[in-house]
Amino acid sequence: MSEPILVPIEMDQSWRYAATAAMARFCEGLKECRIEALRCEGCGRRYLPPRPVCGNCHLLLRDWVPVRDEGRLAAWTVVHVPILDARSGRTREAPYGMGLIRLDGADTTLNHYVAEHDPSRLAIGLRVRAVWRERLEGAIDDILHFEVLR
Amino acid sequence: MNPVAVIGTGQTRHARARDDASQPELVREAAARALDDAGIRPRDIDAVVIANMELFEGRAWPELWVGEAAFAAGKPCLKVATGGTSGTSGCIAGFHQVASGLFDIVLVVGFEKHSEGHTQTGMTLTDPYWDRAVASGAVGNFALSVSQYMAERGVTELQAAQVAVKARRNATRNPHAHLQMPAITVEEVLASRPLAHPLRLLDMCPQSDGACAIVVASGDKARKLNPRPAWVKATATRHEQPYIGDIDRRLITMRTLRDAAREAYASAGIREPLKELDVAEIYEPVSYAELAWYEALGFCAEGEAGRLIEDGVTEMDGELPVNPSGGVLSTNPVGASGVIRVAEAALQIHGRGGDRQVEGARTALATGYGVYAWADVIVLADRP
Amino acid sequence: MIRSSAIRIPFRYAAGTAGSRFLAALRDEQRILGTRCTSCARLLVPLRAFCPACGIEMLEEVEVGPGGTLQSWTLRADGTAFALVLLDGASTGIVHRLLGAAGEARCGLRVQARFAVDRRGGILDIAGFEPAQGGAA
Repeated sequence: MSEPILVPIEMDQSWRYAATAAMARFCEGLKECRIEALRCEGCGRRYLPPRPVCGNCHLLLRDWVPVRDEGRLAAWTVVHVPILDARSGRTREAPYGMGLIRLDGADTTLNHYVAEHDPSRLAIGLRVRAVWRERLEGAIDDILHFEVLR
Repeated sequence: MNPVAVIGTGQTRHARARDDASQPELVREAAARALDDAGIRPRDIDAVVIANMELFEGRAWPELWVGEAAFAAGKPCLKVATGGTSGTSGCIAGFHQVASGLFDIVLVVGFEKHSEGHTQTGMTLTDPYWDRAVASGAVGNFALSVSQYMAERGVTELQAAQVAVKARRNATRNPHAHLQMPAITVEEVLASRPLAHPLRLLDMCPQSDGACAIVVASGDKARKLNPRPAWVKATATRHEQPYIGDIDRRLITMRTLRDAAREAYASAGIREPLKELDVAEIYEPVSYAELAWYEALGFCAEGEAGRLIEDGVTEMDGELPVNPSGGVLSTNPVGASGVIRVAEAALQIHGRGGDRQVEGARTALATGYGVYAWADVIVLADRP
Repeated sequence: MIRSSAIRIPFRYAAGTAGSRFLAALRDEQRILGTRCTSCARLLVPLRAFCPACGIEMLEEVEVGPGGTLQSWTLRADGTAFALVLLDGASTGIVHRLLGAAGEARCGLRVQARFAVDRRGGILDIAGFEPAQGGAA
């Protein structure tokens, strides 16, 4: 065949997403460093992020419960692949720690950054606490990362 | 429900980049081979299912551009886009169409051309409020689950490396497979570049360009066209809640795969999978996942997966060869990967597995895995 | 509450065997190529690797145009016009830009391809279709 031709086209798209009512309340709370979960009246599970229904019980979620900005590592890793920080527009330098954090008062875990990138100093069960940014915008990355409480 | 069988399969040469073929040409390559293998003509096809993750190639309606290449022009055609399970769920959709009695012959084609876009970026397009600002990507997400799996079940990096080696060595006997690494060793896996602790480069699946097609036929037609049809004994699918944090200790609990396996085994009358299955093609996006799937699929007791790989039970000469094709670890065009599992399982029943044929394979398992925890389980056998 | 989210991804699509041949002919030879199916005799434009109706891998390469007939056309609010053109010899039409014909555009108008000066192996190596010299069909 003649030399293969490749056609370059850049996708450049933006969208405007409406939040659920629950997520809107949750995000507003973040502006005041307040975290809340929604508790299912059927199974008792406390959901972060909040959402309209419990997927297992099919019940509407209405029962807001407070959640501390502190909890335990349920899982962890150290990532070596540099990633773009959506807020700063700069690359987040690797290696960086990540974890699944079970905050006190919630049953689901939160996927977030952990300020520790030495694998020998990370373990399931460690207590961590949120470090909040100076400027709060009402988004999950108002939490800059979680620090390990030693 | 009418008896349904896979009577033909076709695959492309899978590779990092197939710049020589447009998306329709890639689909055509697999679809034409499947028709040839099944001994049918385009006009014999009653309906077509396309499996593809349209966002990864950044164009709307894959079935529009590639439909005619899959012989779908003028026919009913559906698309399935469910991440890694696109292929297996697409096959199940095809099985259902034929089993309903409304269609006699259905073609299922899965494909992906990862080289044309940037899949890792595409994959970040989940919930904009919760997921996107805190993305660790597919590798990071798996690594989180692996840390729990290792802590609770005691699997080791060495055992995972043995899975990675088994996959790539098996792939050397598969002319379609993308990664060909005949000299791979566990040392090489353990020395490969770290991606997200403890996952290393060679623990991960590649991104491949490729397509795979199967021809599904109803009972009478199947018997006329293939001396050894691969009969569909059971299918099961499970989806999940939206966030990775909703799933407790994912690789350990994996309720979707466990429930789907339970249902499929019950339908197929399987009580001891390790004994009653002759071969398994399971969807393993990382080495550790294969170990977790051994436990979820009941190949061994909880916590025994490491022993299974160490004892060679799942090697080609073991009691239950797992992924003679080389698996997803060797070839991964996402939309096709699930179809490849079904095609490779069917090939084993057909007796057309070539150098990767498991002698006397009569009952085969094919599974799919997608997004965080979606699961498909399919059982094929040499009798309806 | 509304959140904006943007994405930018560069894609590079393989034109494939048929597409590369078609685009190279535009770029290097200023020729428009189609393929004739040896079974149904339809002449498909652009050049294809197989006939969608017959399912066979055909196919005889045939040059079409540069002249053709306007099968249909439309004008956008911003003034750009698009044409569905049946090139001479072809069985299938192609959509492209209609150049400078706003006043006289009508179904059946004779048109011809105008090639771009700067050609890169893309469909816009044809700049568009304009009324043929010598007027109506």
